[in-house]
Amino acid sequence: MTDAVKLMRILALSDSAFPVGAFAFSAGLESAVEHRIVTDAASLEAYARQILRQAAFTDGIAALQAYRSAAEEDYDGICEADAQLLLCKMNAESRLMTLRMGRKLAELSERILDDSTAARLAADIRAGATPGTYPVAQAVVASACEIPEKWLFASLGYGAINMVLGAALRCLRISHYDTQRIMFRLGDQVETIYDRAREMTFDDMSAFVPQIDIVASLHEKGTKRMFMN
Amino acid sequence: MTAAARVSAAREMRPFQAEPPAMPVGTPGKAGYVYLGFETDDDGRSILRELDRRAPLIVQQALYFDECMPQMPCVYILSSGGPNVDGDRYEQHFTLRRGACAHISTGAATKLAEMRYNHSCMAQSIVLDEGAYLEFLPEPTIPCRHTRFICDTDICIDPSATLFYSEIYMSGRKYYRGGERFAYDIMSVTTRARRLDGERLFREKFVVEPYDVSPVCLGVMADYDVVANVVVLTPPQCADRIYELTDAFIDSRHRTAAGITRLPADCGLLYKVLSDESAPVKRLVREFCATVRRCVKGYDMPQEFPWR
Repeated sequence: MTDAVKLMRILALSDSAFPVGAFAFSAGLESAVEHRIVTDAASLEAYARQILRQAAFTDGIAALQAYRSAAEEDYDGICEADAQLLLCKMNAESRLMTLRMGRKLAELSERILDDSTAARLAADIRAGATPGTYPVAQAVVASACEIPEKWLFASLGYGAINMVLGAALRCLRISHYDTQRIMFRLGDQVETIYDRAREMTFDDMSAFVPQIDIVASLHEKGTKRMFMN
Repeated sequence: MTAAARVSAAREMRPFQAEPPAMPVGTPGKAGYVYLGFETDDDGRSILRELDRRAPLIVQQALYFDECMPQMPCVYILSSGGPNVDGDRYEQHFTLRRGACAHISTGAATKLAEMRYNHSCMAQSIVLDEGAYLEFLPEPTIPCRHTRFICDTDICIDPSATLFYSEIYMSGRKYYRGGERFAYDIMSVTTRARRLDGERLFREKFVVEPYDVSPVCLGVMADYDVVANVVVLTPPQCADRIYELTDAFIDSRHRTAAGITRLPADCGLLYKVLSDESAPVKRLVREFCATVRRCVKGYDMPQEFPWR
């Protein structure tokens, strides 16, 4: 596969219009705005920064492990990454998000790729043999498309930030200039975060965002909702 | 390799492995150990059947002071050494056999001293058999400047048993001299649970390294100083009732917030509290424990002692 094709593939995978339903989720931003924790561009950037860190050291580590397993044709390793990631998804709505998007991506990959691992993963998700988290499904697709693991990691980070910024445009008085400025600034951190995450294993998956956890719980118990989390 | 040695080998503790010159790791008095084994007696009352402990950890006699559950032994664990110091390796193991109940706490806050060479470690295991019920409500943990601390808790629980497991972490000695807030080097806390047949339930880990990334920011600790993390493992029908009865809120006037969610594998609930001070956090955690007790055992919880 040529570099241009690989680039096209990762752009498609990262696109917010890629039909996995990312637009339906806000990563807790909806409640954070409602409770006036996020009120402007500065607080939105702080919120998105934590979402990026949380994603990098949970989703990112699991995705890298699954990607390496896929490259070694170790299917059990992919399933172990899937199981480990779900074990550390502590919020009910974050599990809903990763499983819905993971299933959609697996179903989609069956139709757009000719890859036996992607097909097996999709079948196992349907059969309930493996949970089917989104980052693990992304890793399998990335491996099938020969996308380098660092690109996969960057795509994952971009997706996490973009979900928050996309939601912000719908529930916060903010401009496209602000959101793109935030995206570019946070993007500068991805290389450093990748350098840390690539050395890590399942034992290192961690997250410390108690305020975001509480906000997620308010959303879970709330009645007003535009987004699914 | 001991449980504490395994926990101490975690990646994040690698920079903190130098031998403390004053008292090396493993010196008597620095390797605390507690084993508490609870069973039911012939008359159905729970008793502390097995007790093993090594200094500096001390276990007080099991007392039956809970007026609402007089059949439940209440045990306090103390440390005769004062704060946890550089190179301490502690282990705590609690086992509750079929139908047993117990309440475990600490006599005072756990203070974590300044550390210059090594770190302090706590490895815990909790085993709850069929129908067992454990309330683990220790006093808060207070890290000091340059504290390095790792705590790892491994839970093995029958689907019919209930565990209330709480931890409260302060930002530091916030009223000491000019105030210490998040002046520690590292705090690593892992809690994982599984069934007796090995089925994994959840694994929560947080690593806070304030000198690397400050937790004083939106989304993490914001302007709060105290965080409580409470795990409740209980059958789904009890979890549903507790979830319905527990509020999630942000109270800006009293600077307190709390949230509750359901754990993976439908194994229970996770409750978190943030506040400026320990008192409101302790009160909310105890109220939450009272809700759990009412839903699971059908008993009220007495008022906390005024000196606690």
